[in-house]
Amino acid sequence: MRTGLRKWSLALGAAAFFALPLISHAQLTTLDIASRNSMESHVGGYTGHVHDAAYDYRRYCVGCHGDMGDGDGEVAQWLLPPMWPKPRNFQLGVFKCRSTPTGTLPTDDDLYDTIARGMDRSAMPVWSQFTRYQRNNLVAYVKHFSPRFATEKPGTPITIPPEPEVTPERIKAGQEVFARVQCWKCHGVQGMANGPSASTLTDDLGAPIAPFNFTDGTRPKCGDTDRDIYRIFMTGLDGTPMPSFADNIKPDEAWDLVFYLRTFMQQPSKAKEIAKKMDLKPVNPNP
Amino acid sequence: MHVFSRSSLRKVVHSAVSLLLAALFLLPVVLTCSQPANAIPAFARKYGLRCSACHESWPILNNFGLKFRDNGYQIMNDRDAPIWQNPGYWPVTFRITPIWHRFSNLQAVDTYTGVTPATPYGGSAIERISSSGFDLSGLDFHTGGTLYNNISFYALPSSDSTGAFHFETVMVRFDNLLHSTWLNIKMGKFELNNLLSEKRMVGLTGDGGEYQTYHFIPVGDGNMFGQMGDNQLGLEYMGHSVNDRTRVSASLLSSQDGNVGLTLGANSYSGFFTFDQAIDAGKWDVQRIGGYAFVGDAATYFKTSGGVPIPGSGIGNKSFSREGVIAQFYFGQHFDVNFVTQHGQDNAWFGQGYGNAVSTDGDGGVTCTTPTAVGGCPPNNTPGTVLPTTARAPSWNGYTIEGRYIYSPQLIFIGRYEGERMSQQATVGTPSSLGNINMEDAIIRWNPFMTNRAGLALQGEYTLFHQVGTGPTVGATTANQNENELLFALDFDF
Amino acid sequence: MKSQYNLAAVLSAVVLVSCGALMLSQKVSAAGEGKITGTVKIDGAAPHMRGIDMSKDPYCVKANSGSAPHMETYVVGKDNGLQYAVLSLDGWSGQANVVTTEPTFDQKNCMYTPHVLGLDVTQTFKVTTSDQTAHNIHPLPNPMINVGWNQSQPPGAPAIEKSWKNPEVIPVQCNIHPWMHGFFVVVKGPVAVSGEDGSFTIENVPPGSYTVKAWHEPDETQTQKVTVAAGSAATANFTFKAK
Repeated sequence: MRTGLRKWSLALGAAAFFALPLISHAQLTTLDIASRNSMESHVGGYTGHVHDAAYDYRRYCVGCHGDMGDGDGEVAQWLLPPMWPKPRNFQLGVFKCRSTPTGTLPTDDDLYDTIARGMDRSAMPVWSQFTRYQRNNLVAYVKHFSPRFATEKPGTPITIPPEPEVTPERIKAGQEVFARVQCWKCHGVQGMANGPSASTLTDDLGAPIAPFNFTDGTRPKCGDTDRDIYRIFMTGLDGTPMPSFADNIKPDEAWDLVFYLRTFMQQPSKAKEIAKKMDLKPVNPNP
Repeated sequence: MHVFSRSSLRKVVHSAVSLLLAALFLLPVVLTCSQPANAIPAFARKYGLRCSACHESWPILNNFGLKFRDNGYQIMNDRDAPIWQNPGYWPVTFRITPIWHRFSNLQAVDTYTGVTPATPYGGSAIERISSSGFDLSGLDFHTGGTLYNNISFYALPSSDSTGAFHFETVMVRFDNLLHSTWLNIKMGKFELNNLLSEKRMVGLTGDGGEYQTYHFIPVGDGNMFGQMGDNQLGLEYMGHSVNDRTRVSASLLSSQDGNVGLTLGANSYSGFFTFDQAIDAGKWDVQRIGGYAFVGDAATYFKTSGGVPIPGSGIGNKSFSREGVIAQFYFGQHFDVNFVTQHGQDNAWFGQGYGNAVSTDGDGGVTCTTPTAVGGCPPNNTPGTVLPTTARAPSWNGYTIEGRYIYSPQLIFIGRYEGERMSQQATVGTPSSLGNINMEDAIIRWNPFMTNRAGLALQGEYTLFHQVGTGPTVGATTANQNENELLFALDFDF
Repeated sequence: MKSQYNLAAVLSAVVLVSCGALMLSQKVSAAGEGKITGTVKIDGAAPHMRGIDMSKDPYCVKANSGSAPHMETYVVGKDNGLQYAVLSLDGWSGQANVVTTEPTFDQKNCMYTPHVLGLDVTQTFKVTTSDQTAHNIHPLPNPMINVGWNQSQPPGAPAIEKSWKNPEVIPVQCNIHPWMHGFFVVVKGPVAVSGEDGSFTIENVPPGSYTVKAWHEPDETQTQKVTVAAGSAATANFTFKAK
């Protein structure tokens, strides 16, 4: 009896030893994902549930994101980066558009907003027609694919000070930040995504990826308000080469940088109007 | 004496019913083995979305698909312009449907009295004629999408089942003018902005394939212009809120029911106006309520040359109107009901039969070989013609109720009821119920799979159509028309 | 009064004894702890390492004008000593964080120094930059094992303090300078990284039998069994074949 038990536990131990690396490197199993079926989401006074999203996920999402939320739906093979980014693998718990610091989980609101906003310049449509009920359920569904949401709390959203008035001094200061932290290395000195390092960028999964071209009239991926742009460089786009500059840009300076970036973009803005009269020259990459 | 004996008719019905029942019993088996649905004709192919993302059940649009269409067939991801597509992508889908159907209606059938060829006919009697067999639908070539960022197009050459083509849709639309979703202008021949669009009907039978409410005119009425279900030629302004919850449109149309060549509709115009508002009802999905109005005028006579109507010379324009309410109620994700109401009114001239200058040879032209023969050409409102004192402006009320049960994006059950009720006949003394319609339509549609490139649906359908006073006439009696059709179809698109 | 003094006496005695026990236990372990030393060598000739074209960044070119930079996949010193192999104890079940040092991972002349950092789980380390060109520090763990992050380090940036929760070999890269490659090798228990001559010393090893694991990039592992006697050093040598 005793020896049998020992043999059995030895066998189990050996199996676990070999299985552990397999599990960690392979995708999650249906069983593991189902263990998080009670995941909830809370946005705008509604509570979302995994079970209530299943029908919508099958109708709208599974083609790209796959049955197991691993980004391997039947269409994914035709999405070729950098032109068409691959669909998000929800199992990894890594998300681009967050209000929380790099390396932390997004809040329910972040995921909720991403679903309705879609992802510009990608195959992720603008799903703004969903009701709040449907969207909350889908957020819960997205979360339940990743073990991280069961064990970790989302990060604390960064504090964004109120937006100051745009002035020529602030735009100039913003240009100095742009030069100091060397955004131009990837984004180019005129924001045209043609910096010296732009051509070799790859994302966390090794696929080629392009930096944002501020000048081509398209919108930033995580929203096109000033606050959204502030958040991008102060939290970074996890899973991509875009880092968080939170340790290197002070909140007030961050607004200056937002205003300077606006001068590159085609969308009309106060900063653009002011910059027209300023005759700004691009930064010098080799001072 | 009857052509078909009662017992053989019963046999046909029995076998049809048992076939239907067999199909129903097979469903659970089939459901468990059904492949996942991934569909992609044209638009789906371009964006990599399944058919079910835009369509409740193709071709019925869901809210996402409606928004996609209202945006000018654009997802609004800054990658909609054709320049971003692989050069191999070509926005074409074709659709055709082989069917088996059995159609049955009442006709006045000659009765034989003798065998001598000189006097073979003794009279006629009302009989039910049923015909069944394999058949084809027409072919649709759909092509549409974007020509450029915010410039969209659609062209739909469509043939009838004999292969004779016409243009169902040809349009260009300027979308999101001045960067606003409230400014979209479309020109050409296009589907009217009906929430419950006839062009998106799932019904395939001869009766089922159109909404009675959109085509109803009183018996003898000459106005064939106010046909809401058909695609029309004109100019449309359309505006909507960013998430498509509020929608408005105003179209200026030529009153020619979409017929080309300026033959009939020259010099007369109609306007089609719609408005609808959607409400986020939480668990119950989105509810939509709106209204429409179709008002216009059309010619009641044509100038003639040598007795033959001159194309494009229509004058004596009289007015007509159709207006109503439309509602879409969703009860959760699996069941929805659509209502359309209509109050219609035609000018008394139309009521007396003036206006319809379609020739008897059916090609839509205005050639008329015997202008004075009774029944040879429709009446022409020549100078000096007065309406009889018994003439009235006919009016009616109609309603359509369509309920849909969506078991899954691959299996849908639809039931439709339509009723049209005359409220004022065109001539005093006409029986008040003349022309009233009741029709019912039941559909089961199942998509066993939709591959990355195509869609296929198996459809079973049964339609019943009753109309008062438009059946065959024998002697002094005019029967009510009573038609039914049973249909099985393999509807596919690629 | 007497009871109060009694209480005070008892309390202080307890405190003294526990402190003493703590110190003693440390002393006991320090006295009893041994180490494992050895050398990691490469078999055969040192493989040729490609030169790096740093022309993307003129600052990097200038910073390396003294010595041409090379890939650091195999860094071989005298007598075929292989640098940057990571030595650890397989199946360590003792307490984590036996070391109290806080190593530094520096970005210097557009290369990582050191190329490989050996770390215990939850051990904190610092990431610094000595360069006048901007870098971003972007470790790429398996998200199912460790949580990654991506932070900028422009010239003059303050140090970043981080740690890793679970054992893993974590590649680290700079997106701005794609030739920069390094590793955080996170293990449970004591860890050492072989030096220029291939020698290493794993400190703070309590007496016992162990399987020493040697890892070298890209993905090679070797093991050896040793027994460590109290207060003495066991030896384990490894030889890797160049890939």
